[in-house]
Amino acid sequence: MKKTWLRDYIIKRLLYAVIIAWGVLTITFVLVRVGPTSPADKYLANLASRGQDAAQVIAAIEARYGLDQPIYEQYINYVFNLFRGDWGWSFSTSMPVMELIKTHWIYSFQLVLLSSIFAALLGISIGIYSAVRQYSKTDYIATFFSFIGISIPNFWLGVMLILLFSVQFGLFKTYYDTSIPLLSLANLKQLILPVITLGTGMLAGYTRYTRSAMLDNLRKEFVRTARAKGLPERTVIGKHVFRNAILPLITIIMFDLGSIVFGGAYLTEIVFGIPGLGRISFNAIFADDYAVVVTVTLISAFLILMINLITDITYTYLDPRIRYD
Amino acid sequence: MTKGLKSITHIARKVGGVRNLLFILLAALLGLTILLDIRVVEKIFDPLVYLYLAVGIVVALYVIPPLYTSRRLVQYYWQRARRNRLAVVGLAFILFLILLAIIGPFLTADPTEINFEEKNLPPPGFTLQETVYHLETQQFITKTASGIWEHPLGTDNKGRDLLAMIISGARVSLLVGLFATGIAIVLGTLIGVISAYLGGKTDNVLMRFTDIMMTFPFFLLLVLIVFLFGPNLVFIVLVIGLTGWTGTARLIRSETLSLRTREFIMASKALGASDGRIILAHLIPNVVSLIIVIATLSIPGVILAEAALSFIGLGDPAVTSWGMVLRAGQQTLDTAWWVAVAPGIMLFLTVLAFNFVGDGLRDAFDPRSSV
Amino acid sequence: MTPEVVFDMKEVILSIRNLKTYFFTRRGVVRAVDGIDFDLVKGETLCLVGESGCGKTVTALSILGLIDSPPGRIVDGEIHYGNIDLMRCPRDQMRHIRGKEIAMIFQDAQSALNPVFTIGNQIVEQIKLHSEADNREAKEKAISLLEEVGIPSPEKVANYYPHQLSGGMKQRAMIAMSLSCDPQILIADEPTTAVDVTTKAQILDVFQRLKNTRQISLLFITHELGVVSEIGDRVVVMYAGKRVETAKVSELLTNPIFQHPYTTSLIKCLPDITGERDRLESIPGTVPSLIDLPGGCLFHPRCAKAMAICREEEPPPVTVTRGHTVFCHLYSR
Repeated sequence: MKKTWLRDYIIKRLLYAVIIAWGVLTITFVLVRVGPTSPADKYLANLASRGQDAAQVIAAIEARYGLDQPIYEQYINYVFNLFRGDWGWSFSTSMPVMELIKTHWIYSFQLVLLSSIFAALLGISIGIYSAVRQYSKTDYIATFFSFIGISIPNFWLGVMLILLFSVQFGLFKTYYDTSIPLLSLANLKQLILPVITLGTGMLAGYTRYTRSAMLDNLRKEFVRTARAKGLPERTVIGKHVFRNAILPLITIIMFDLGSIVFGGAYLTEIVFGIPGLGRISFNAIFADDYAVVVTVTLISAFLILMINLITDITYTYLDPRIRYD
Repeated sequence: MTKGLKSITHIARKVGGVRNLLFILLAALLGLTILLDIRVVEKIFDPLVYLYLAVGIVVALYVIPPLYTSRRLVQYYWQRARRNRLAVVGLAFILFLILLAIIGPFLTADPTEINFEEKNLPPPGFTLQETVYHLETQQFITKTASGIWEHPLGTDNKGRDLLAMIISGARVSLLVGLFATGIAIVLGTLIGVISAYLGGKTDNVLMRFTDIMMTFPFFLLLVLIVFLFGPNLVFIVLVIGLTGWTGTARLIRSETLSLRTREFIMASKALGASDGRIILAHLIPNVVSLIIVIATLSIPGVILAEAALSFIGLGDPAVTSWGMVLRAGQQTLDTAWWVAVAPGIMLFLTVLAFNFVGDGLRDAFDPRSSV
Repeated sequence: MTPEVVFDMKEVILSIRNLKTYFFTRRGVVRAVDGIDFDLVKGETLCLVGESGCGKTVTALSILGLIDSPPGRIVDGEIHYGNIDLMRCPRDQMRHIRGKEIAMIFQDAQSALNPVFTIGNQIVEQIKLHSEADNREAKEKAISLLEEVGIPSPEKVANYYPHQLSGGMKQRAMIAMSLSCDPQILIADEPTTAVDVTTKAQILDVFQRLKNTRQISLLFITHELGVVSEIGDRVVVMYAGKRVETAKVSELLTNPIFQHPYTTSLIKCLPDITGERDRLESIPGTVPSLIDLPGGCLFHPRCAKAMAICREEEPPPVTVTRGHTVFCHLYSR
């Protein structure tokens, strides 16, 4: 009986995700069409700067993008194209947006992955230690630094790190070198500063939330029972308390993901010149290449949707109080 | 005389109180002045002044009196908040910043004044040495540039005074923080309270919408909109406010949900109070402390959002903000490092200050924490 | 310090002498337990009785060394289990004793059980901790324990989570868990307080059965004299951290002559269903704050029979009959 309940929940949740996805698509479409400079104007500006004849261009655009069609047909085309993988054409790089994404996503991915691992491992450990040794010196220091960590503007931190370690001490190059193979130690080395930049904000958050979740659970009665059973302290904390603390932690961490991580990654890529999705979007802005900007926004929104979906399902699976009710 | 008073009280009752009457009158007066300003006379006031006046009227009529009538309560919370030393330090910094923003512009140079003679000057006390090969004399000449007290923080590569730029940035950040947060909080609170109170279909629809908005990563959405619509400071403030309300809405909604089932609300309903009245007179006052905490803790995010936008070049080019200075600084890291350090420190300290204060307020309002 | 010779022929399994557990807080020192002595005889049920806050739970926690150590600390005393002084034994040995030799169950079963693990899982964990059993053996034993405490369909229940069980079932599950390693002593902290009357009776049944089948030594903490009369062999009455009376249950409840005034009041407070009295009795005044204790006999502010000396001096122990000791000036002549 419990198995089908979970399956039903997953199905319900997926349907809901589809609705949200539709909402995201639609809002983006509306924003683009409502903007003062329509896509047509932007293409015109682009093409005009390359010295092409305006009249020819307008006809070509209207044919390609169906801008002469009524708005709801445009909308249907838009949605359809998204699913087909036709995400538009990037003028500044002369390739389909899809291609652009394919070649650049890996840089964003490695940055976010490494930063998350760094922040999670360090943050959760410090958080647990801080909670268990509450009011100790280490606790105060950790709390103080986490305050600083969430307050420091991460793009400034990046610039300062470059100033110190690249300009002053010359330990790192000031810009990311793409010629270095991804799975090499040299690549890891040049990712150190960016990972610290992006990871610090996340780290501070993880430390704080873990500490608070652990503290909440350390006060609970079942901890006393566990000790009365004769369990060693590390099992009491590591198994009994942690397993309870992790539930709210997952929700809180995922909740912050959208604002801190994606926004932070965008800025970090720009500061360090890492050619990930954030940076190509940034380049596209100043080249008036709207398809890229829109697509990157949509992709990140969908990623967040996926992550929320997985988090919800995982949480439901992990908390027996929800599962069996 | 008494007849006049009688009719005033009659009207006052119709609009729900003397305060509301006063508000309508003052708002009408302000509106008239604005119309005159646009249509008839030459500029009477700077548009920003109108904004300040409007905010001032709202604060004077709807914020100060409640604080005055519940003096003891305010004092109680103030005592609790005061004990948190970090929060007090944070508050002092914020006040200093406000002072800087108001008085600063009168004491310093124009932040946009370009003066290539005095470019790349470090702050006083620092000396920069540059060895340059002088073509004419075919020799290496060491040029030294030392800071002078005229430019207490130095200058950038176009000779603009850094201190003036920082002060201008303080004004911008505080304005953005105030207004964008204001919009976000008002919007979030309204949606949260209405959604929780009315429940059912309204709740469903509003929450779906909130979920959709929350799925967009905040900063990327900002970037997209500013890219599509153009970088104008007022517009940026509006956009930040109109996209940053989701967290508030969620929090207020859950608090209202728990309040909704409490007895005093049911008692109100039993006495025949309308939904609107219940929302305004009963629910909102009870979430005020939560709103204050959320607002204080939202300001840093808003300030950083604007700074980040300016940093990547999507800020209002006519305005000197901290993000913009930082952007300029990054490009001259090797020649004029101080340009990158100053705005960042200010941003950091400002965010830190608001975080301290917000945390202190949260502890002060939380009945369970022993301050 | 009173040498307590209770039953000359019987074996004492747990002996507590002059136990003092204080809590050091910002507002002062809370003397939760201030010099308690008693013995637990093998196979008997000793009840620890008193109002909320009198130190019963703290006493039990002190025995197992489960006092939260920043504010609290056992400042004095000896707790002998066999020939081991529990207060001074090394931590590893203490952990071995907890759960295996001396087990404890708590008042609120819902919060005392870990909500994210199944009942079976939690019992198996304890079994495997103190023995060499493998998963299958441990699981079988867990199921048989659940059966022993009267839980229907124990194989199913073992896979349930705590929130899926009723209050009474949770309590029984906790009892089962505490018995999993066949302890010598079981400390039960108010197991019948948080449940309704029917469940209370059922749980007392369980304890009765355990007493008969396992000959376990039971330290039963409660504030209800009714429960004491049903299940207790001997009783220790506590007030504000100190012992005021020790007696056999039968004697205490039937012989009012040498009772401590507090005990008398407690008995009087029991609702009388014979219908003679129409108003519930209560003891005037309130339990003193454990930081700010009155001088002399701690009960004197509320005692109907208080004398001048009660304000000055602490009452000495008076052995009234064999096995019955009272701390009261009334009987010290």
